[in-house]
Amino acid sequence: MQHLIICRCEEVSLKDLEETAKKFNCTARELKLRTRAGMGFCGGRTCRPAVDKVLTDLTKENPTDAIPLKVSPPVRPISLSDLGGKASDD
Amino acid sequence: MTTKRIVNHPVLGKLEENKKITFTFDGQSYDGYENDTIASALLAHGIRTLRKHEESGNPRGIYCNIGHCYECRVTVDEVSNVRACLTPIKENMVIESGKVQPSPLDPKNEGDLPRTYDEFIRSEEQKKNANK
Repeated sequence: MQHLIICRCEEVSLKDLEETAKKFNCTARELKLRTRAGMGFCGGRTCRPAVDKVLTDLTKENPTDAIPLKVSPPVRPISLSDLGGKASDD
Repeated sequence: MTTKRIVNHPVLGKLEENKKITFTFDGQSYDGYENDTIASALLAHGIRTLRKHEESGNPRGIYCNIGHCYECRVTVDEVSNVRACLTPIKENMVIESGKVQPSPLDPKNEGDLPRTYDEFIRSEEQKKNANK
Protein backbone atom coordinates (compact mmCIF):
# COMPACT_ATOMS: atom_id res chain seq x y z
CA MET A 1 0.00 0.00 0.00
CA GLN A 2 2.89 2.33 0.83
CA HIS A 3 4.36 1.90 -2.65
CA LEU A 4 1.05 2.76 -4.28
CA ILE A 5 1.69 5.28 -7.05
CA ILE A 6 -0.56 8.31 -6.66
CA CYS A 7 0.77 10.42 -9.54
CA ARG A 8 2.11 8.45 -12.50
CA CYS A 9 3.52 11.38 -14.49
CA GLU A 10 5.89 12.44 -11.71
CA GLU A 11 6.11 9.00 -10.06
CA VAL A 12 4.96 10.09 -6.61
CA SER A 13 3.99 7.27 -4.25
CA LEU A 14 1.78 7.43 -1.18
CA LYS A 15 4.94 6.89 0.88
CA ASP A 16 6.60 9.96 -0.70
CA LEU A 17 3.56 12.08 0.17
CA GLU A 18 3.32 10.77 3.73
CA GLU A 19 7.03 11.26 4.41
CA THR A 20 7.06 14.77 2.97
CA ALA A 21 3.94 15.73 4.93
CA LYS A 22 5.53 14.46 8.15
CA LYS A 23 8.94 16.02 7.51
CA PHE A 24 7.82 19.52 6.53
CA ASN A 25 4.45 19.63 8.31
CA CYS A 26 3.05 21.44 5.30
CA THR A 27 -0.25 22.47 3.78
CA ALA A 28 -1.85 20.54 0.92
CA ARG A 29 -0.66 23.11 -1.59
CA GLU A 30 2.90 23.11 -0.28
CA LEU A 31 2.92 19.31 -0.28
CA LYS A 32 1.85 19.34 -3.90
CA LEU A 33 4.61 21.79 -4.84
CA ARG A 34 7.27 19.81 -2.92
CA THR A 35 6.44 16.39 -4.35
CA ARG A 36 5.10 17.59 -7.72
CA ALA A 37 2.15 15.20 -7.33
CA GLY A 38 -0.49 16.18 -9.89
CA MET A 39 1.83 18.61 -11.66
CA GLY A 40 3.07 16.32 -14.41
CA PHE A 41 2.47 16.07 -18.12
CA CYS A 42 -1.23 15.18 -17.91
CA GLY A 43 -1.88 18.24 -15.76
CA GLY A 44 -3.36 16.16 -12.94
CA ARG A 45 -6.35 15.05 -14.99
CA THR A 46 -5.68 11.41 -14.14
CA CYS A 47 -4.75 11.66 -10.47
CA ARG A 48 -6.27 14.91 -9.17
CA PRO A 49 -9.13 13.32 -7.15
CA ALA A 50 -6.66 10.87 -5.57
CA VAL A 51 -4.08 13.60 -4.88
CA ASP A 52 -6.75 15.92 -3.40
CA LYS A 53 -8.05 13.16 -1.12
CA VAL A 54 -4.60 12.07 0.07
CA LEU A 55 -3.46 15.65 0.63
CA THR A 56 -6.51 16.67 2.65
CA ASP A 57 -6.35 13.41 4.65
CA LEU A 58 -2.66 13.83 5.42
CA THR A 59 -2.72 17.51 6.27
CA LYS A 60 -6.15 17.45 8.00
CA GLU A 61 -6.83 20.63 6.14
CA ASN A 62 -10.19 21.67 4.82
CA PRO A 63 -9.55 22.31 1.12
CA THR A 64 -11.62 25.50 1.20
CA ASP A 65 -9.59 27.03 4.07
CA ALA A 66 -6.36 27.78 2.24
CA ILE A 67 -5.46 28.43 -1.38
CA PRO A 68 -7.24 25.63 -3.25
CA LEU A 69 -5.36 23.10 -5.36
CA LYS A 70 -6.56 24.90 -8.39
CA VAL A 71 -7.10 23.60 -11.89
CA SER A 72 -5.67 25.90 -14.53
CA PRO A 73 -5.95 26.03 -18.28
CA PRO A 74 -4.83 24.86 -20.83
CA VAL A 75 -6.71 21.59 -20.38
CA ARG A 76 -4.35 19.81 -22.78
CA PRO A 77 -0.59 20.17 -23.15
CA ILE A 78 -0.14 22.47 -26.13
CA SER A 79 3.03 23.14 -28.07
CA LEU A 80 4.40 26.57 -28.94
CA SER A 81 4.16 25.73 -32.65
CA ASP A 82 0.43 25.07 -32.21
CA LEU A 83 0.03 28.45 -30.53
CA GLY A 84 2.02 30.02 -33.36
CA GLY A 85 -0.47 28.78 -35.94
CA LYS A 86 1.51 25.81 -37.25
CA ALA A 87 -0.95 23.25 -35.93
CA SER A 88 -1.40 20.05 -37.89
CA ASP A 89 -4.82 19.16 -39.29
CA ASP A 90 -5.78 16.79 -36.45
CA MET B 1 4.03 -13.11 -38.82
CA THR B 2 2.96 -14.14 -35.36
CA THR B 3 0.28 -11.81 -34.10
CA LYS B 4 -1.36 -11.29 -30.73
CA ARG B 5 -4.36 -9.83 -32.50
CA ILE B 6 -7.70 -11.54 -31.85
CA VAL B 7 -8.62 -12.76 -35.33
CA ASN B 8 -11.51 -14.96 -34.30
CA HIS B 9 -13.71 -13.49 -31.59
CA PRO B 10 -16.45 -15.67 -30.01
CA VAL B 11 -18.99 -12.82 -30.19
CA LEU B 12 -17.71 -10.41 -32.83
CA GLY B 13 -16.76 -13.11 -35.31
CA LYS B 14 -13.88 -13.18 -37.75
CA LEU B 15 -11.66 -10.13 -38.22
CA GLU B 16 -11.97 -8.50 -41.61
CA GLU B 17 -8.73 -8.35 -43.57
CA ASN B 18 -7.86 -4.69 -43.92
CA LYS B 19 -5.19 -2.96 -45.98
CA LYS B 20 -1.71 -3.58 -44.55
CA ILE B 21 0.39 -0.60 -43.51
CA THR B 22 4.12 -0.63 -42.76
CA PHE B 23 5.75 1.66 -40.21
CA THR B 24 8.92 1.76 -38.14
CA PHE B 25 9.17 1.84 -34.35
CA ASP B 26 12.61 2.56 -32.89
CA GLY B 27 14.27 1.68 -36.19
CA GLN B 28 12.50 -1.64 -36.65
CA SER B 29 9.85 -2.22 -39.29
CA TYR B 30 6.38 -3.47 -38.32
CA ASP B 31 3.08 -3.83 -40.09
CA GLY B 32 -0.46 -3.15 -39.00
CA TYR B 33 -3.86 -2.75 -40.54
CA GLU B 34 -5.46 0.43 -41.79
CA ASN B 35 -7.26 2.33 -38.97
CA ASP B 36 -5.03 0.72 -36.33
CA THR B 37 -3.74 3.16 -33.77
CA ILE B 38 0.01 3.15 -33.09
CA ALA B 39 -0.66 1.55 -29.71
CA SER B 40 -2.93 -1.20 -31.06
CA ALA B 41 -0.62 -2.02 -33.98
CA LEU B 42 2.34 -2.38 -31.60
CA LEU B 43 0.28 -4.34 -29.07
CA ALA B 44 -0.55 -6.83 -31.84
CA HIS B 45 3.22 -7.43 -32.07
CA GLY B 46 3.51 -7.85 -28.31
CA ILE B 47 5.13 -4.44 -27.73
CA ARG B 48 3.70 -2.87 -24.58
CA THR B 49 6.52 -0.49 -23.61
CA LEU B 50 5.94 2.70 -25.59
CA ARG B 51 8.32 4.90 -23.62
CA LYS B 52 10.52 5.10 -20.55
CA HIS B 53 9.83 7.53 -17.73
CA GLU B 54 12.04 10.58 -18.39
CA GLU B 55 13.71 10.50 -14.99
CA SER B 56 13.51 6.99 -13.53
CA GLY B 57 13.46 4.98 -16.77
CA ASN B 58 10.52 2.83 -15.67
CA PRO B 59 8.61 1.43 -18.66
CA ARG B 60 5.28 3.03 -19.67
CA GLY B 61 2.60 2.00 -22.12
CA ILE B 62 -1.14 2.20 -22.60
CA TYR B 63 -2.87 3.42 -19.44
CA CYS B 64 -6.21 5.14 -20.17
CA ASN B 65 -6.22 4.45 -23.94
CA ILE B 66 -8.64 7.36 -24.55
CA GLY B 67 -6.14 10.18 -24.95
CA HIS B 68 -6.54 11.46 -21.42
CA CYS B 69 -3.40 10.56 -19.50
CA TYR B 70 -0.57 11.06 -22.03
CA GLU B 71 1.21 7.97 -20.69
CA CYS B 72 1.60 6.55 -24.22
CA ARG B 73 3.18 9.62 -25.80
CA VAL B 74 5.72 8.90 -28.55
CA THR B 75 7.59 10.87 -31.20
CA VAL B 76 5.99 10.54 -34.66
CA ASP B 77 7.87 11.85 -37.72
CA GLU B 78 9.91 14.11 -35.38
CA VAL B 79 6.82 15.58 -33.73
CA SER B 80 7.13 14.85 -30.03
CA ASN B 81 4.41 14.06 -27.46
CA VAL B 82 1.98 12.39 -29.85
CA ARG B 83 -0.51 10.07 -28.17
CA ALA B 84 -0.05 6.54 -29.51
CA CYS B 85 -3.54 5.52 -28.39
CA LEU B 86 -5.28 8.12 -30.61
CA THR B 87 -3.03 8.41 -33.65
CA PRO B 88 -3.83 6.10 -36.59
CA ILE B 89 -0.82 4.56 -38.34
CA LYS B 90 0.11 5.81 -41.77
CA GLU B 91 2.36 4.31 -44.43
CA ASN B 92 6.10 4.76 -43.64
CA MET B 93 5.44 6.51 -40.34
CA VAL B 94 8.60 6.82 -38.25
CA ILE B 95 7.87 6.36 -34.57
CA GLU B 96 10.38 6.74 -31.74
CA SER B 97 9.74 5.70 -28.16
CA GLY B 98 10.33 8.11 -25.26
CA LYS B 99 13.79 7.84 -23.69
CA VAL B 100 15.28 8.65 -20.31
CA GLN B 101 16.39 12.30 -20.22
CA PRO B 102 19.72 13.40 -18.78
CA SER B 103 19.23 14.76 -15.28
CA PRO B 104 21.26 17.94 -14.77
CA LEU B 105 20.22 18.23 -11.13
CA ASP B 106 21.64 14.82 -10.21
CA PRO B 107 25.07 15.45 -8.61
CA LYS B 108 26.25 12.10 -10.04
CA ASN B 109 25.99 13.56 -13.55
CA GLU B 110 28.04 16.65 -12.84
CA GLY B 111 31.36 14.94 -13.49
CA ASP B 112 34.53 16.97 -12.93
CA LEU B 113 33.24 20.20 -14.39
CA PRO B 114 34.17 23.31 -12.39
CA ARG B 115 31.23 24.77 -10.53
CA THR B 116 32.52 28.33 -10.15
CA TYR B 117 34.81 30.55 -12.20
CA ASP B 118 37.32 30.42 -9.35
CA GLU B 119 37.41 26.63 -9.56
CA PHE B 120 37.84 26.89 -13.33
CA ILE B 121 40.88 29.20 -12.97
CA ARG B 122 42.42 26.89 -10.38
CA SER B 123 41.87 23.82 -12.56
CA GLU B 124 43.44 25.63 -15.52
CA GLU B 125 46.49 26.54 -13.38
CA GLN B 126 46.79 22.96 -12.22
CA LYS B 127 46.74 21.79 -15.84
CA LYS B 128 49.46 24.33 -16.73
CA ASN B 129 51.63 23.21 -13.81
CA ALA B 130 51.15 19.56 -14.73
CA ASN B 131 52.31 20.27 -18.28
CA LYS B 132 55.53 21.97 -17.13
